Formats: sequence, C-alpha cells, structure tokens
Amino acid sequence: MLTPKERLSLALRGNAVDRPPCICPGGMMNMIVEDVMDLTGKSWPEAHTDALLMADLAAGVYENGGFENFGVPFCMTVEAEAMGAKVNMGTRINEPRVTAYPLQSVEEWNKLQPIDVNAGRAKIVTEAIALLKARNPDVPVIANLCGPVSLASSLIEPMIYYKELYKKADKAHEMMEFVTSNLIAFGKAQIQAGASVLAISDPSGTGEILGPRGFQNFAVPYLNKIIAAIREESEVGIIVHICGRLKNIYSGITALDSDAISFDSITNAKALSESVTNKAIMGNVSTFILEKGAPEKLALVARQCVENGVTILSPACGIGPKTALANIRAIVDAAKSMKNASLNQKTCIL
Amino acid sequence: MAKDKAELLEKMAKSVVEMDDDLTVELAQEYVDQQYDGYDAINMGLAKGMDRAGQLYEEEEYYIPELLMCSDAMYSGLEIIRPHLKQQERSGKSKIVIGVVEGDTHDIGKNLVKIMLETSGFDVVDLGRDIPPIDFVEKAKEIHADLIALSTLMTTTMDGMEEVCQILKEQDLTERIKVMVGGGPISKSFADKIGAHYSEDATKAVKLAQQLVKEEIRC
Repeated sequence: MLTPKERLSLALRGNAVDRPPCICPGGMMNMIVEDVMDLTGKSWPEAHTDALLMADLAAGVYENGGFENFGVPFCMTVEAEAMGAKVNMGTRINEPRVTAYPLQSVEEWNKLQPIDVNAGRAKIVTEAIALLKARNPDVPVIANLCGPVSLASSLIEPMIYYKELYKKADKAHEMMEFVTSNLIAFGKAQIQAGASVLAISDPSGTGEILGPRGFQNFAVPYLNKIIAAIREESEVGIIVHICGRLKNIYSGITALDSDAISFDSITNAKALSESVTNKAIMGNVSTFILEKGAPEKLALVARQCVENGVTILSPACGIGPKTALANIRAIVDAAKSMKNASLNQKTCIL
Repeated sequence: MAKDKAELLEKMAKSVVEMDDDLTVELAQEYVDQQYDGYDAINMGLAKGMDRAGQLYEEEEYYIPELLMCSDAMYSGLEIIRPHLKQQERSGKSKIVIGVVEGDTHDIGKNLVKIMLETSGFDVVDLGRDIPPIDFVEKAKEIHADLIALSTLMTTTMDGMEEVCQILKEQDLTERIKVMVGGGPISKSFADKIGAHYSEDATKAVKLAQQLVKEEIRC
C-alpha cells in the first residue's frame, strides 16, 4: 500500500499508481473550509499569521478524511506583502487580499523590498511547513508560490501592469526578473523547511488574459526559471496551476517544465490530456459543484474527471470555505475506490 | 489641408484599434478644430474603434493588454471631444452602478465591462472593488440607476451577488433596478437562480445592458 506521499510523488512523475491521489495544494488553491475550522478549533484570519494555527488547520483537512496532503499558506498574498503591498487579512470566510500597491509603474520596480524569508509571514509559512513535516511523514507537504505574473500584478494596479507589459516592455521584464528571483528565494526556503511538492498558481498570467503570445513571453520563461532553480535545490515534484481556458496555449503549457498542469473546470480535461502529453494532468472538479452539489453527484464528477484523463484528482480552483467537508470526502473517497480504472487511464495517457 | 469629416472619423477609429494615443489625440484635435459634431466623433469614430477592438478580442486576436491600450487611446481622444459636446447629449443616458463584490479584489473584468459600457454611451458609476452588497443598492438609489453590474472572480464571493438581489427584493426595487452579473465562476444558471442577468464577457455585457434598459426583460 502506497503512502499518500509516495502515491503523489509517483503520479507527478507519470508512473503507474494503485489509484489517483486526491489533493488540493493550498495557496491560491485553497482547501480550508469552515467545517475544518470547527473541528480543529483553529480559524481564519488568525491562522494566516501564526505557524502553529496554520499547521493545525492545514493538517485538519487530511486528518478528518479530506485531501491527501498538507498545504500552506492559505492565500496568495504572502509574497506581495513581503515586497511592500498592503494586505487585509480577511475574515473567517474571506481570504486575505491586497488592498494597496507599492508601485505606480513597472519603471519603479527597484523600489520593491526583497522578500526576507526569515521575517513576517514568509517565516511563519516555513515554520508551519516544518511542523507539518514532523506531524506525519507519510503525508506530502505542498509548498505554494504565487505565480510571477500574479505577484507582479499584486504590486501594481493590474490595468497599468498589463498595458506596460507592451508599452514599457524592457522595464516590465526587469520587474519580472526581480519578482522571479524573490519567488525562487521563498520557494527554496519552503523546500528547505520540508515541503516535498511545490505548487505555483498564476491566475493573472493566463492565456485568456495575455493571449498565446503574451503567455509565451511573460509567463512561461519566468515560471520555468523558478522551476529550474527549485530543481537545482531538490528533486521535489512541481505543479503549475493556470486558470481559465487553456485551449489557445497548449504549446505554452507543453513548454512548461513542471511535472503537472492543474487547471480550471472550464478547460476540457480530455482535450488537454490529448494535447499536452508531457505532464501529469491534475484537476478539475468544479468548485461550484463542490460547494453546492450533493456528495453522490461529486463522486460522479470525480470519476468523469479521471475518465477524461486526469491522473491527479483535485478541485479546479481554490474551494469556498463554506464547502461541506462531506463533499470533499466524497471526491477523496471516489479516488480511493478507483483502483484499476486509474491504471488503465495511465497506460493510455502516459 | 482640412480632411473631410468621414475621413477623420475613420482615421480616429483606426488609431484607437491600433492603440495609438498620440495619433488619436491629434486627430480628435483636428476634428474639433474643424467644428464637426462632437457626438459623431464618439459614435462614429472613437466608439467604433473600440467596437472593432472588442470584436478582435472576441475573435481572440486581441487580449486584455491590447484592449486596455485601445481604451487608453479612446479615452485620450474622448478628453479632447468631451468639452465640445452639446449639453443635452451629456445627460439623459442610462445609468449603471458597477463594482466587484466584497471579498474579491480582482477587477480586470469589471474594468473592461466599464470601458465597453462607457464607450456605448452609458453613464457608469464605478464603486471599485471589494464592495459590500448594500453599497451597490444605496448608490443605485441615490443616482437613480437603471442597472447594477456585479463582477467576481472568486467562488467565495458569489453569495454577495445573491445578497444584492435579495436587498433589492426586500426594498421592492427589482422592477426598477436590474442586476447583471459576470466573472469566472458565474454561470447563467447561477444568475437565473439569484434573479440576475448573465453576461459572458465585456462585449456581450453591452448588448445585455442595452436590452435590459430598452426592453425591460424580466428574469
């Protein structure tokens, strides 16, 4: 019997496993729900700023029959805050969010503070990772990074940022280089603290927003730079999550050096798995159905995902905190009951 | 040498599509210097250019950065034209309150819808992002708006949309103030359920808004 950590590690590398793992990475891909807050007695927003609370809450998902991983942090504002953005920590059910940007133009990128991995919430995240690793060595701890385009557009009004990608392309690339080098530093710190998988989510750097050319120029190179630097450090599995429709960027997705591509429910898993053949396909249970649907329906949706070529089962995006734990269990249990089906899928996809 | 009106209008539309701020300003200035009609400059020049840009966006030739650059050119031309509009052309427009519901700070989609609505002649009041549901209703009442347009990118904040519709119902305003919703996680069935109207993207939002104020579609 494989441990959850072994199973995920094998699945990420495209190896045959007994059944698909069912995970939710954390970060932008939120997995924390109110039911788990109630069960653990730990909740948002306090858990965003306290390593013990963060670790307890993250562990509470797996330990109560939820996703087969630990994952921190619970938002995508840690990096932006460390670099100078103002962040509102949100509420029990609303995630932290950036409320003020430090820059007016990409030209000012040298005003940004570098991320100090030994201070603030960056340090809290690495401490939580160390606690989680010690808590259960059989469960994979997933580290999370905000993707480079999403981080850059958390440091400057996105309306300005997107225009300046073209109007001030040189400065925009300089800013992207700086942002990327900081993400590498924070990613490495999380790996050193004990994470065995890294997930990079870039909801603002999508093919739908940037177009195929923009995705190729502004997302792919910086994502690959992070992946290469992390791989130099350690053999961890790496997931990239891109929101929105992917059909116009299949070649960009193929060019990513990650082990897995995770994607939205709007993207057709079958078409993606047929076009992108060099990665594990992770997704894509609709978070809307996850929150509003019945457990029996979710079991069907989970099966459908795997039949369409998904090899790592997960929600299509971050899940709403009001999602019932019973619904999460429904897709985890569906994955656990899949046995042979997944092996057949494996052989036809990989 | 003075260019004729139609030629200037066509060039203005083209300079908007080609994202050229400076040229758009230059053409708009030349246009007002000739004392041609300001309203036509918007309708048949700037807005036409933005329309074509929107079409290129639908055809996946243009994406968000390109569309934003087009809108920059459009607005810079508009600044030149606006002082030359006759008074009655500036009032009597349908009013829309727009914003992103509380808990979400993603507002690219909302900004695009706003640009396209303004281009099409709506008077748009933008509350910004991260807005509590009651604020939409209060503002709509205050300015006698015909529509409230709500956007979100996050599943977690969809309840806020429902709350806006609920408040309108409680205050018996659903007939007077229509609600349109859009954004990543939103579907038509969700909109139907909460008593709102769904629009898939910025260009379709304009058509929907025009229909809603004209025909008074019922949910």
